[in-house]
Amino acid sequence: MKISVDHPRCEGHGLCADQAPDVFSLDDEAELTYHFEGTDVPDEHRPAARAAVNACPVAALRVLS
Amino acid sequence: MTARRSVLIVGESLAGITAARHLRALGHTGPLTIIGAEEHGAYSRPPLSKAVLKDPAADHTLGLVLDGLDAEVIRSPAVTADTRGRTVTTADGRQVDYDALIVATGADARRLAAPGQRGELVLRTLDDARLLRARLADAGSAIVLGAGFLGMEVASACVARGIPVTVVDTDQPLERILGGHLSAVITARAAEYGIRFVQATGFATLTGDPVRGVALPDGTELTADLVVTCAGEVPCVDWLAGTGLADRLGVGIDHACATTVPGVFAAGDVTYFRGDGTLPDRRAPFWSNAVAQGRTAAASVLGLPSPGPPQDDYFWTEVAGLTLKIVGRLPLLGAATTVQGSVTDGRALLTWGHADGTSTVVAYGLRKPVGALRALAAPSSPPAP
Repeated sequence: MKISVDHPRCEGHGLCADQAPDVFSLDDEAELTYHFEGTDVPDEHRPAARAAVNACPVAALRVLS
Repeated sequence: MTARRSVLIVGESLAGITAARHLRALGHTGPLTIIGAEEHGAYSRPPLSKAVLKDPAADHTLGLVLDGLDAEVIRSPAVTADTRGRTVTTADGRQVDYDALIVATGADARRLAAPGQRGELVLRTLDDARLLRARLADAGSAIVLGAGFLGMEVASACVARGIPVTVVDTDQPLERILGGHLSAVITARAAEYGIRFVQATGFATLTGDPVRGVALPDGTELTADLVVTCAGEVPCVDWLAGTGLADRLGVGIDHACATTVPGVFAAGDVTYFRGDGTLPDRRAPFWSNAVAQGRTAAASVLGLPSPGPPQDDYFWTEVAGLTLKIVGRLPLLGAATTVQGSVTDGRALLTWGHADGTSTVVAYGLRKPVGALRALAAPSSPPAP
């Protein structure tokens, strides 16, 4: 499973990191880091990662596969 | 209670899907069915009044993810429920039995048109947003009825398109939600941005058929190419008629998202928190509450303690080209306790301290994640020894 992040659309709400802190994190200026850029989200983090994709209030996250 | 019980979620919504995901995460291995009213499935609504009004490309990015839920999804609206027989019937005639039910049918736009009056525009669904976007493309003027979050977002979208817009409400913009101080700040900014505001002395009515204007109680009539009603929402509870689950405010829940009917729970915009003697009944139809309540409802269905409170006081809006993010209790009385930065410059961090040690924190035009705002809003830690 891969996730795409639309960085220009991201407004730094950080609700993704609430759902999946092992997959997403934000610094104090709300810059988002996606920890599995260019690779697959490990199995154990997939349910949380899907919840995070849905929780994004600006629809900046998408599951690619 | 066994893990093989069947759970039915009515409402393919953020609250409903969040509940489904948490049911599975918490170990529910029994049958799980989701009944949705949206032909194309669940999608995210906050962008409808923001990105979608600006750009058709956003339409295709809104779908919510159902992967990995191992749920049967029925896309036909629920029309009746029998909570004694524990069954729900859909518009296409299917009857779905359940052991536990989660009501997550959300809310519809509140409409103000008179019976038979055509052409009222609202903004609640993707179809609403597409229609409004098309109408914005050739409108020379606009009226927005309602100065809450949604009304001010729509008005901001009009200005961004160069369309003169007038917002009509009985209260100042966002005053009911945010309180007088922040409302005054935002009203001034909105005026500078080009949003005209008319304060009505009572309820305004839509005029024309199709709708072309608004009549104010003092006899004034305003007209425009485009009139958008942004007057709040109505919980989707028609299908619950006769169950005693719902009233005018929606489906009443407690802090476990339990309703007054055994085996029935509810989450999201369809709900209100039942008053408990000290607090009145209150609706809190916000995105982050739908997530929090979906999670709590899932835990309660399984007889587990909730992993967190059923409420997450986080709100945000875009108004007059500026993003506001707010954590904490509302409305805010009086001026901010502390101000960092400059409201005039459109970049400030404002806090309002409360008697219980918590604060309400407002990031005004500042990019701050919710985690940082929650940390600031939490009760101040005792001084280090």
